[in-house]
Amino acid sequence: MVEEKKEKVIIRAKNVDFYYGDFHALKNISLDCMEKEVTAMIGPSGCGKSTFLKLLNRMNDFVPGARLSGEVTISGESIYGPNADPVDIRRRVGMVFQRPNPFPKSIYDNITYGPKLIGIKKPDLDVIVERALKAAALWDEVKDLLNKSALELSGGQQQRVCIARALALEPDILLMDEPTSALDPIATSKVEEWIKTAELSIVIVTHNMQQAARISDKTAFFFLGELIEFGPTLELFTRPRESKTENYITGRFG
Amino acid sequence: MTEKMAKPKGVLLVPKLSPTEQSVKAFFLICAISALGQMFIIMIFLFSEAFGLFVSTPDSQGVSLAEFFFSLDWYPTYPVPSYGSGALVAGSLAVTIVSIIMAAPLGIAMAIYLAQIAGKFGREWLKPMVELLASIPSVVLGFVGMVTIAPFMQSVLDLPTGLNVLNASIFLAIMATPTIASLGEDALSAVPQEIQDASYALGATHWETIWKVILPSSLSGLSTAVILGLGRALGETIVVLMIAGGSAQIPISLFDSVRPLTSTLAAEMGETAIGSQHYHALFALGALLFIMTLAFNLLAFFLGRHWQKNSV
Amino acid sequence: MLKAQKGYEPKRRYLREKIALFFVRSSGIFTMAVMAFILIYIVGHGISAISFSFLTEFPKDNMTAGGIFPAILGTLILALGALLTAIPLGFGAAIYLAEYARPGPLVSAIRLGVANLAGVPSVVFGLFGLALFVTEFGFGRSILSGSLTLGLLILPTVTAAAEEALRQTPQSFREAALALGASRWQAIRQVVLPAALPGMLTGAILALGRAAGETAPIIFTASAAYTLAMPDSVFREVMALSTHILNLATNGTHIEETRPQQFGSALVLLILVLGLSLVAIIIRAKLKRGRKW
Repeated sequence: MVEEKKEKVIIRAKNVDFYYGDFHALKNISLDCMEKEVTAMIGPSGCGKSTFLKLLNRMNDFVPGARLSGEVTISGESIYGPNADPVDIRRRVGMVFQRPNPFPKSIYDNITYGPKLIGIKKPDLDVIVERALKAAALWDEVKDLLNKSALELSGGQQQRVCIARALALEPDILLMDEPTSALDPIATSKVEEWIKTAELSIVIVTHNMQQAARISDKTAFFFLGELIEFGPTLELFTRPRESKTENYITGRFG
Repeated sequence: MTEKMAKPKGVLLVPKLSPTEQSVKAFFLICAISALGQMFIIMIFLFSEAFGLFVSTPDSQGVSLAEFFFSLDWYPTYPVPSYGSGALVAGSLAVTIVSIIMAAPLGIAMAIYLAQIAGKFGREWLKPMVELLASIPSVVLGFVGMVTIAPFMQSVLDLPTGLNVLNASIFLAIMATPTIASLGEDALSAVPQEIQDASYALGATHWETIWKVILPSSLSGLSTAVILGLGRALGETIVVLMIAGGSAQIPISLFDSVRPLTSTLAAEMGETAIGSQHYHALFALGALLFIMTLAFNLLAFFLGRHWQKNSV
Repeated sequence: MLKAQKGYEPKRRYLREKIALFFVRSSGIFTMAVMAFILIYIVGHGISAISFSFLTEFPKDNMTAGGIFPAILGTLILALGALLTAIPLGFGAAIYLAEYARPGPLVSAIRLGVANLAGVPSVVFGLFGLALFVTEFGFGRSILSGSLTLGLLILPTVTAAAEEALRQTPQSFREAALALGASRWQAIRQVVLPAALPGMLTGAILALGRAAGETAPIIFTASAAYTLAMPDSVFREVMALSTHILNLATNGTHIEETRPQQFGSALVLLILVLGLSLVAIIIRAKLKRGRKW
């Protein structure tokens, strides 16, 4: 499944170190994500996987005392370089959060929020809404409710609104931070289904190993701020090279 | 989430209280109800004393409701007195509206500054400062208005008096701004971080996030803040008594002097005989003022409840 | 990826952001500057009037000379009287609302009553005090009438602050006490109240400052333009700082001659009121930081 695609690096992290104040949260991380692949990040709580994810769209900028060294590039461009514009990066790199966080607005207004920020107007917006909701596999459920508040939807639907909202900007990359941890099993399977079929580069953080195994092409295992092992998912779960990885996936800690 | 909870089965458990416990609870209940009772007693006194204005006595003819509400003539001490509240209400509304036009944008901008821009320093130092300023006694503010802005306006703009709508409104705005800023900051800070993050993650700038997500989400909280500020300006007495000028007329310009309801009460109550028609007329003004502020308070109360319910 | 439309290029959006935030910042600075001006103005003009004799003597020569001792004393007496009125009722109501009340129409009505009472204009409290305490109860213009009127005025503040303090006491405190066999009232008295009391008293200090600064409610219920002697009972009328400033600045025949007295009194009142608020705010911040739960 990996081999049939033409490999092209879309995200490249090189020797990345990251600190919250004095706390060394990421230690010398180097990793490449391929275009149109699903990359999963696993590891115990506090291992740095979410921190790494948030580096990729510069959401860590808001954390007081955050410091970074090393290089992160997206499609070959450094996103921490002097000319990088965090706002523009976040437009190209979408993000779905741990808990569904729709704005207290209608579904329609949630989806069009991003496009409106860059000046896109009415007839085009309708097209974008339909496309985004279809892409998030939500269109059939909500097409008659577009003007209803997104808060009235179920948790799983809210999360898919958030996915559609990110997709409306047609990002190159979608970051997902434990997107199903607040969802019930049925809603989870719908989101997973969507991830597997999406034609998009996806980086997903999860602490559900079965989930990583089910949906990802590559998996990265983080532990105490270090990247222990990174490789094709099947390989990592069946023939881990590192003993720490093996201990984790066989449930000896975590 | 819209799923309905299943109806619970079994018996509702209620804590059992011994007789002593019951009486302790009853005592506190009485304390709590007295707050409500006080509202009623205030209303009863205001309205029953106000009622005296409208009934005829051997010495005087009762005033008609139409005259009280719609006449613009407030001449309580004339040989043939007239008790129209129109000009006084107009005075109250004029200073309240002008002051809120100044205080609402400033207060909300201040709230944004405190909640979004000033950071930790804002929360820990500036907000307490703002609250401290909200407690400056009104008589001090009125006094400052009398000795600074009034002579300044009079000489620079060549006016007959510097005691006018604008001067009073400026100082009412100074009173209302900290109230709006402090309550507004509470409302802005209650907007969940998650949806702010969502906005940033979609490529919004800081200002776009404030303008399109944080402000709309806290709209009812901000309205509550502004309405309470409005109520404070409407009910404020000493500032307008000292610097609104005191002529019972409909203001045409910002530089006209006016006599709001509150200052009429404060200025005249001390000089009138208890039980006279003038005394009753002042209570009627008090009742009118009470109703106006009650309307604002109810609005703020229900908006505030709505806000609490809808915030996460 | 969607293309940004004309007029929405990053440069334009950042420019808009800069302008908007500039406005917000300047409003903040402007507001603080106005406040600073008022404080500095009063301090600057009032400081020269203040001396030991100003604080300790009675007024002389139609108020154009002498001190403001009786006004300071009157303000303190009235504010303390107000607090004595408000604390029992306010704390009691707060305990009911925080500890016993279950959501229902009665509690909603009580909350509505407290919220509305907080917004009733102070001059209306003055009218009410005049009708009830001065006239109906026959207390006359007196310390008693003034204290009761101010007490009712600050009751909502005292109640709300006390309820807030009680609610911040963790549920686990109550559960632990009840699990050890305490009755409801024992749990409140022995565990909840000791933990909440500092917060409740902080609210009371804030209310004390407010009572000291009020003018309108005491004009017709307690204040005298001038007293010759110290009050010897609660049925005496007293001078107060706030009404003293009002009288000198608006009613006197010597408005210009008494300006130094006016500034001096305003400064003393300001120090008293802001001082009390400051104390309350500092205690509150300390409590927040030192809280272990």
